[in-house]
Amino acid sequence: MSTPINNGEVILSVRDLQVKFDLRGRILGAIREVSLDIYKGETIAIVGESGSGKSVFTKTFMGLLDANGKITGGSILYDGKDLAKFKNEKEWLGIRGREIAMIMQDPMTSLNPLKTIGQQIAEAVTLHRGLKGAEAKKAALQHLADVGITDPERRYDQYPHEFSGGMRQRVVIAIAIACRPKILICDEPTTALDVTIQAQILELIAGLREKYDLTVVFITHDLGVVAHVADRVAVMYAGDIIELGKTDEIFYDPKHPYTWALLASLPQLGERGEELFTIKGTPPSLFVKIHGDAFAPRNPQALKIDFVERPPYFEVTPTHKARTWLLDPRAPKVDPPPFLKLLHEKGGALK
Amino acid sequence: MAKYLIKRIARSVLTLAIILTIVFILLRQMPIEGYFQNFDKLTEVQIQVGLEEMGLTDPMPVQVFNFFKNLLKGDLGVSRIYRANVPVTEVLKDKIPVSIKLGSAAMAVSLLLGLPMGILMANFKGKFFDKMGTVFIIFIQAVPAAVYYLFIQLYGTKLLGTSLLFNQNDFKAWILPVLSMSLGNIAYYGMWIRRYMVDESTKDYVRLAQAKGLPKRKIMFRHVFRNAFVPLAQYIPTAFLNTVIGSIYIESLYSIPGMGGLLVQVIQKSDNTMVQGIVLLYACVGVIGLLLGDILMVVLDPRISFGKKAGGR
Repeated sequence: MSTPINNGEVILSVRDLQVKFDLRGRILGAIREVSLDIYKGETIAIVGESGSGKSVFTKTFMGLLDANGKITGGSILYDGKDLAKFKNEKEWLGIRGREIAMIMQDPMTSLNPLKTIGQQIAEAVTLHRGLKGAEAKKAALQHLADVGITDPERRYDQYPHEFSGGMRQRVVIAIAIACRPKILICDEPTTALDVTIQAQILELIAGLREKYDLTVVFITHDLGVVAHVADRVAVMYAGDIIELGKTDEIFYDPKHPYTWALLASLPQLGERGEELFTIKGTPPSLFVKIHGDAFAPRNPQALKIDFVERPPYFEVTPTHKARTWLLDPRAPKVDPPPFLKLLHEKGGALK
Repeated sequence: MAKYLIKRIARSVLTLAIILTIVFILLRQMPIEGYFQNFDKLTEVQIQVGLEEMGLTDPMPVQVFNFFKNLLKGDLGVSRIYRANVPVTEVLKDKIPVSIKLGSAAMAVSLLLGLPMGILMANFKGKFFDKMGTVFIIFIQAVPAAVYYLFIQLYGTKLLGTSLLFNQNDFKAWILPVLSMSLGNIAYYGMWIRRYMVDESTKDYVRLAQAKGLPKRKIMFRHVFRNAFVPLAQYIPTAFLNTVIGSIYIESLYSIPGMGGLLVQVIQKSDNTMVQGIVLLYACVGVIGLLLGDILMVVLDPRISFGKKAGGR
């Protein structure tokens, strides 16, 4: 896996992004001042549990937040434009599909049941490349073949219900690719599929990344997938990126207690006969302002300062940083849980 | 497809035949007064002769057989009381066209106004237009139709300067009855298309269409509306055919010479053959409506297959 990040060119740069949701008058701070640079050509994985804000975070890149969600601060720089300032649909239409495309979680519902597969791909082709009629069909057929659908001529005129889940996800990918985007956001693209199909889809996405020179943002809570596809990993917790680094750094030298806990709960690390590790407690309510380290209440080894002040990022290596007071030189030495060492030994099994 | 259609139509015909047989047998249990215009003045012997002439003394299976035999020739028998000795088909032939014209006009108006209203309401959900539409729908649904029918007739005729009574040849005279007939359906179509479209808009494929970069207007039309229309489509043939039957209240309000109220009249006069003929018409309308509704669904929704389970998965 290539890691173009050291000399890479930043394609999308998020600075201090804040997203709030208005839920019947109560304000929920879903994204709390998150910054992230995404490099051209890389595959970056954003991991975190449900509700950590990973989907919301990437939806802001395309202006697809639900109506009650709003960007309340920060910027998203792409191609010299600040996407966070976009107001109307017209501005977004220049970005959606054309620059940034998205694959969604559930292929069973992502396609319009009343339109043929071909129509739905051709629609994207026409929209973004201005091809019409027979030309659009030709391009759509090409994309069907691209994503590994055999006999595209016949499949072109079929409807989504005539496709299996894995095949539909391929079609969804074909639609995304047909837009010729520069960034492809994959929002848990394999969660709804069974394991054998998962691997095929991941491989397909990796192949298309090469072929079309894509930058891929992977959203997932499956660390197995992360190990498989990502160059870099951003770990999100309670609307914040708490650790960011190359995949190896996150897996073999994690620094944040939450990342430890997350890795410790990998079933692959469990001992036969022992109970699997789980993180006690629940994520904090995002309705109230969070003080200090959001993970502190669930962290048995939390320091006093964790409850008081939000930790800044501490740099571990130029490519690896984490938001935890443990990295402060004044902090007492807290060792990562010993079984994380197992990851080194068993690590190969993840890939 | 053809095979499915033939099967489906055959089943409809069978349904009709069963309904007709039952109605026929039930009507035979009615008092025999219903077959004579001047029953009171007739003697026992005359009645007996009359019944025999009409074939009503034959055994029941023979009567049923004869009924269907005549039916195939398009002969529904003769009215005995309502319009003595005039064939039932003749009576209906005069009435049906007016009702169909009126009903089709009302149907067209309700679709042309109801669907756009619902689409706009869904588009501006929660905004002013949506709220006004909801007020209209609630009003139509909550207030008994008779109230606003009268209101429309009273003030409408004054406003348009038309007579209270209907005149087939005056275009202006059509406006008020058609409007009255449409209001209920405008509210109905508006309410359901709005609701289905709002439901559809939250579906994943709409998100994907958005992520593709399709403008909202196109998403609403090409994707959302088509999907929202399917559940409504099934109802449309029945609604259309119901216009044949006519609207009892509106036709009597404007004295329109249509089908409305005819069934009530012939039942009151116990004109058995007329009742039989009209029930036949109603049954046909019901069964054909359902059949067309199903066919329309199959045409619009590829997931609904012809008979056999869909393959491919």
